[in-house]
Amino acid sequence: MRTRRDFFSRMGDGLTGAALASLFAEDLGAKQALYDLTPKKPHQTPRAKSVIQLFMNGGPSQVDLFDHKPALAKYAGQPPSRDLAAEVRAVRETGGLMPSPYKFSKHGQSGIELSEMLPHLAKVVDNIAIVRSMFTTHLAHEAALFLMHGGRILPTRPSLGSWIVYGLGSENQNLPAYVVLDDPKGPPINFIQNWQTGWLPAVFQGTRVRSEGSPILNLHAKQEYPGGIVDLSRSLLHRMDAGHRDRHPGNAELEARIANYELAARMQLEATDALDISKESEATKNAYGLSDERTASYGKRCLMARRLVERGVRLVQVYIEGQIWDNHNKIRQGLEYACGKTDQPAAALIQDLKDRGLLDSTLVIWGGEFGRLPIAQDPGPNAGRDHGPSGFSIWMSGGGIKGGTTYGSTDEIGYRAAENKVSVHDFHATVLHMLGMNHRDLVFEREGRQERITDEFPARVLSEIIG
Amino acid sequence: MLMLPVAFLLMVAGSFESDVLPVFRAKCFACHSAKLRSGGLSLESRDDILRGGKSGGVIVPGKPVDSLLLTLVATGKMPMGAAKLSVSETAAIRTWIEREDRKAPVSERDVTAILSAKCWVCHGRRETMAGLDLRTRESMLRGGKSGRPVIASGKPEDSLLIRRIVAQEMPPPKLQEQYSVRGLTDDELAKVRQWILDGVRPDNEKPLEVSAADDTAIKPKDREFWSFRTPVRPAVTPPRFPARNAIDVLTLEKKPLAPEANDLTLMRRAYFDLTGLPPSPEEVEAFRADRDPARYERLIDRLLESPRYGERWARHWLDAVGYTDSEGGNSGDQLRPHAWRYRDYVIRSFNANKPYDRFLTEQLAGDELFDYRAARNLTPDQIELMAATGFWRTAPDATYSTEQNFIPERMDVIAGQLEVLGSAVIGLSVGCARCHDHKYDPIPTRDYYRLVSILTPSYDPYHWLPPTFPCGGVGAKCDENNTRYFLPKATPQWQETVAFNGPALRRVEELQKQIEQKAAPYREKYLAEKNVKEVKLAELEATYEPFKKEKSSIDEQIRKEKAALKPLPLVRALFDLGPQPPPTRILMRGDATTPGALVSPGAPSILNAPGRDYRLEPLSHSSGRRLALAKWLTHPEHPLTARVAVNRIWLHHFGSGLVSTPGNFGRMGAAPANQKLLDWLATEFAGSGWDVKAMHRLVMTSATYRQQSGGDGFTLRRIDAESVRDSILKVAARLDTKAFGPADPIKPQPDGEVTTESLRRSVYVTHRRTQPISLLETFDQPFMNPNCVQRGLSVVSSQALHLMNGDLARDNARFMAGRIIDAVGDDPGTQVERAYLLALARNPTADELRAAMFAMEAAGREWAGDLEKKQPAEPLKSRSRWLGLATVCHTLMNSAEFLYID
Repeated sequence: MRTRRDFFSRMGDGLTGAALASLFAEDLGAKQALYDLTPKKPHQTPRAKSVIQLFMNGGPSQVDLFDHKPALAKYAGQPPSRDLAAEVRAVRETGGLMPSPYKFSKHGQSGIELSEMLPHLAKVVDNIAIVRSMFTTHLAHEAALFLMHGGRILPTRPSLGSWIVYGLGSENQNLPAYVVLDDPKGPPINFIQNWQTGWLPAVFQGTRVRSEGSPILNLHAKQEYPGGIVDLSRSLLHRMDAGHRDRHPGNAELEARIANYELAARMQLEATDALDISKESEATKNAYGLSDERTASYGKRCLMARRLVERGVRLVQVYIEGQIWDNHNKIRQGLEYACGKTDQPAAALIQDLKDRGLLDSTLVIWGGEFGRLPIAQDPGPNAGRDHGPSGFSIWMSGGGIKGGTTYGSTDEIGYRAAENKVSVHDFHATVLHMLGMNHRDLVFEREGRQERITDEFPARVLSEIIG
Repeated sequence: MLMLPVAFLLMVAGSFESDVLPVFRAKCFACHSAKLRSGGLSLESRDDILRGGKSGGVIVPGKPVDSLLLTLVATGKMPMGAAKLSVSETAAIRTWIEREDRKAPVSERDVTAILSAKCWVCHGRRETMAGLDLRTRESMLRGGKSGRPVIASGKPEDSLLIRRIVAQEMPPPKLQEQYSVRGLTDDELAKVRQWILDGVRPDNEKPLEVSAADDTAIKPKDREFWSFRTPVRPAVTPPRFPARNAIDVLTLEKKPLAPEANDLTLMRRAYFDLTGLPPSPEEVEAFRADRDPARYERLIDRLLESPRYGERWARHWLDAVGYTDSEGGNSGDQLRPHAWRYRDYVIRSFNANKPYDRFLTEQLAGDELFDYRAARNLTPDQIELMAATGFWRTAPDATYSTEQNFIPERMDVIAGQLEVLGSAVIGLSVGCARCHDHKYDPIPTRDYYRLVSILTPSYDPYHWLPPTFPCGGVGAKCDENNTRYFLPKATPQWQETVAFNGPALRRVEELQKQIEQKAAPYREKYLAEKNVKEVKLAELEATYEPFKKEKSSIDEQIRKEKAALKPLPLVRALFDLGPQPPPTRILMRGDATTPGALVSPGAPSILNAPGRDYRLEPLSHSSGRRLALAKWLTHPEHPLTARVAVNRIWLHHFGSGLVSTPGNFGRMGAAPANQKLLDWLATEFAGSGWDVKAMHRLVMTSATYRQQSGGDGFTLRRIDAESVRDSILKVAARLDTKAFGPADPIKPQPDGEVTTESLRRSVYVTHRRTQPISLLETFDQPFMNPNCVQRGLSVVSSQALHLMNGDLARDNARFMAGRIIDAVGDDPGTQVERAYLLALARNPTADELRAAMFAMEAAGREWAGDLEKKQPAEPLKSRSRWLGLATVCHTLMNSAEFLYID
């Protein structure tokens, strides 16, 4: 049987991969710039080549997971300060200060304190750096997500991921450069706006790849034609387009278009292969928790993320169902569910990347759009915690990050970032830095204006957590 | 930063009057005296310094390290001249800041900034609960119904205002969420206290005066930049071959013209340019047969009269103003179910060739053109005027969510609209001046807030109208009297709808009562068993299975009744909210908590000139601020309005503008490729009475437009996203040309693809920000952030995947093949000829014909083999031939020639 690959290799003036790449790199017409995903040189030597962002939509509770606050026990039940009260979202449900019900203990050689809810992360804690002094400027998920992804509380700007692939392109032209693995059980808040390009060209947008069914939109037709039809159609199309191109000599856009039809065919093969986790060993599958119902779905996506970065995909964002960290009430059940679903796969990802020698070149980021307040919401047996934008924790690992470190701290009760505060812009600048880019130099010209992910906000690279 | 041992510091004298002030006087007053105040900063007194400059504070008392002033002098960045400060002078300043214990003085404006955000929703322009108005010092001294002042000068603890805030009674906790206000922070409370303690000093401030003739904020040199000066009509010699008109004469001054494209190429180009659709085979034949030398000119006239023209050119304008059918801003992404009236208004305006000055005026100030409050029976024209103001309702707006409806988000919405105005109409990026004086163009922050002030009588940040209606308890205060929707109650349509819905609504009410009745026994049982005081319906449903069943059957009936309701004919509009618009202040760094000077409404000073400046003429029924803006913009000598408009027309005819940054004609924008041509077109446009169709005619009959593509000639370009979809439908003979009305629904598929079952033109299909139609998105339909003055162009493999594997092209290829067979019968050669005429508006060459027939036959055989295996009911032979032809049609839809305008 003839495969499509054969078909292209024998096509009259079919372009090979290398020719294709050089074609893309050409200056495609002076009138309007065309953008592509060929690899670009970073500003300086990069520490990381790719990024896996484990995005924890909802706002994981820092005082129950990463940021031990014994003082909360001392103040339990006391009313919040006026400042804290003015930051509460659900004003009518406000209770007093509420200590964490979980035990914290020290782990690894670094002795970093973690809550008992994260037993798997505890085993790889010497590979991660926890930032405990993040803060954001808005208490709504939507606005905080926009800020975390695009640097503003509005959906008008390109996402960090778009900036990254705009700056660096991708190592693999047969796969999307920026992959989004969302949860079949439900998308994050703001949905596709989280990976939109804003005014950056559309080619830099995140591509949703489904972990069930056909992974990429229209990668395959809903009803396949008989094989011969597809080949005939391609052959006729090539003839038509080559003729059209010859009537318009020197038009690079038309060349690129022809190349794209060939790329689309190759993608059908490569994407299918990249996402096929059945090829992994049982041991690997078990490590990610694929045999356990609780961890199977998230584990599968973490494993797919590894397979993708292995093949040169620049950035993979892994989302969880809806916003399971948004524990306004029944926080104990909520955290049991969310940690139960994600702790093992996330830790397995770090270990797996490390075992394969990929951790040094892959930056792993774990965190949400904000944290939670140290006071009770809806006090009583079903108590939860409301959104806490003023202080929260995230962690990073690999790609040049100094493992076993912590940076910054919140105040006595875990409400507000106090020492070494880290803004979202600092975070963005740091991620770009790890990838070899300077946030001031990654510029897009728009209507005469120089745009940056950090805009004109002050932003600092967190050199303290870089190894 | 200067680091000195502590012991040394202690020895340094740090008295402000004796040690610091003399240094400032000697080395800084050249710019920062109380009189000159460069950057808004005076260094003459401690209070002045504490108040800071334009961008805020310069010292932090007790914290020299955090003080900008010290950083600047210690690093030698200030003073700017050669006379830097000595080490001992710097040390004196450092010691003084360390010991300074005075807080920045609190002024009335600081207090107003706090109260406006937290109190005005109930005690302001819209409502004065308990008779109390907290908008001014005077109204606070007057007090509420009780007649007692709520502030007692010098005695914060005796002031009712303070007492209620301290007790956390105000703002009332139970209303805070709903109204999107929060309690006062410690710092805010301290400020209000201090202002009262210091004797409730009034600001007695007047708005900044800006003179059109003599504005010191603008340097005379700045006014010389080309785009800030009124265009001068260049002299043009009479056209001689190859020139056909003035456009060509001026183009030829820059470059030679390429030869004219062939007739059919020109015809197809004109069809796509003016209607966004390919010509039909009959139109191609008729044009080919026409022997009139003026047949091309007549074609242009015909196309300009086509209703498809308005749909096509409205799309360009809708891009520029950022029109979509949803609010955006969060995942709710509420639909804007009534936005389509504005879309229809734009389409009708283009079709009617409404003069551009009138078109702008209606959109900017349609509500101010007549007294809509007094009008009892609105005429259709008046409703159209209200719909036109939908121009101001396009920006992403999540303020329907209580969590995203605070003052900053409201200011963001206003900023979005001003960005639209700036980039689509004025041609300057005014948004930069929101936080700082524009870095490149002479637009001070003051001028940004003067523009804001034009909008605040209708976009009042403290009297905010929620985007949705009815709003179901979400958002700010929301009721029939406070909505963005104009309710044309006196119209027959309104009354018909109300009459139609009345009985159904009564039935719904009845059904809801039934639920309560059914719930009663269960509720009683629950309260007794669980020993609680109240219980929600949802909890009862979860507890008692029988009740759940009963309720769900009634719910189903309610759903059915509601689904049958007719939507009210609401008009989404912007209108003046009545007298006493809020004061507008410069917000330092764009931050609503750091108010600066008071401003009055006005236009950017750089574009003003005596005789055609922004002049406010108050109207009896409205503030008149937007009408004044429209008058200012449409003055024939306005330097930018006409240039920006003709540049957009040029852009959509040629693929790029004469100014290649269509939203920015400022210094960072591109210089015009041919300024004489741009200015000639601009003066021609304004001089012709802003006649848009006349401009199309002028451009399209020029030799410049008729050039063949390639080289320096016409630019071959891909058709836009909507044209891709609409053309596929048209060649398949399925395009439904029904115009206007509510947007057709979209249909998200289980695999994530967003499609629609609509067969109407794409401009009539819902454009939801979070669910763009996948095909359109892939072909660069913009996201509208907040608008799009020039679409991006990408060539990506997902486009190939969509057209090769997607249902739209595949399904419609079969329709196309079916209609071809219906039209021309069974002869394969004639079928291919027709397919080429439909898709490419030309006949195939002999080679092409041969190749297509070969492919068609081979495909037919493949299909026949496939069908034989499946043995369907249909006749195999004719079905496989039809599918073979469909393969050729599908391939044509994928071809570059189908997707490019030559």
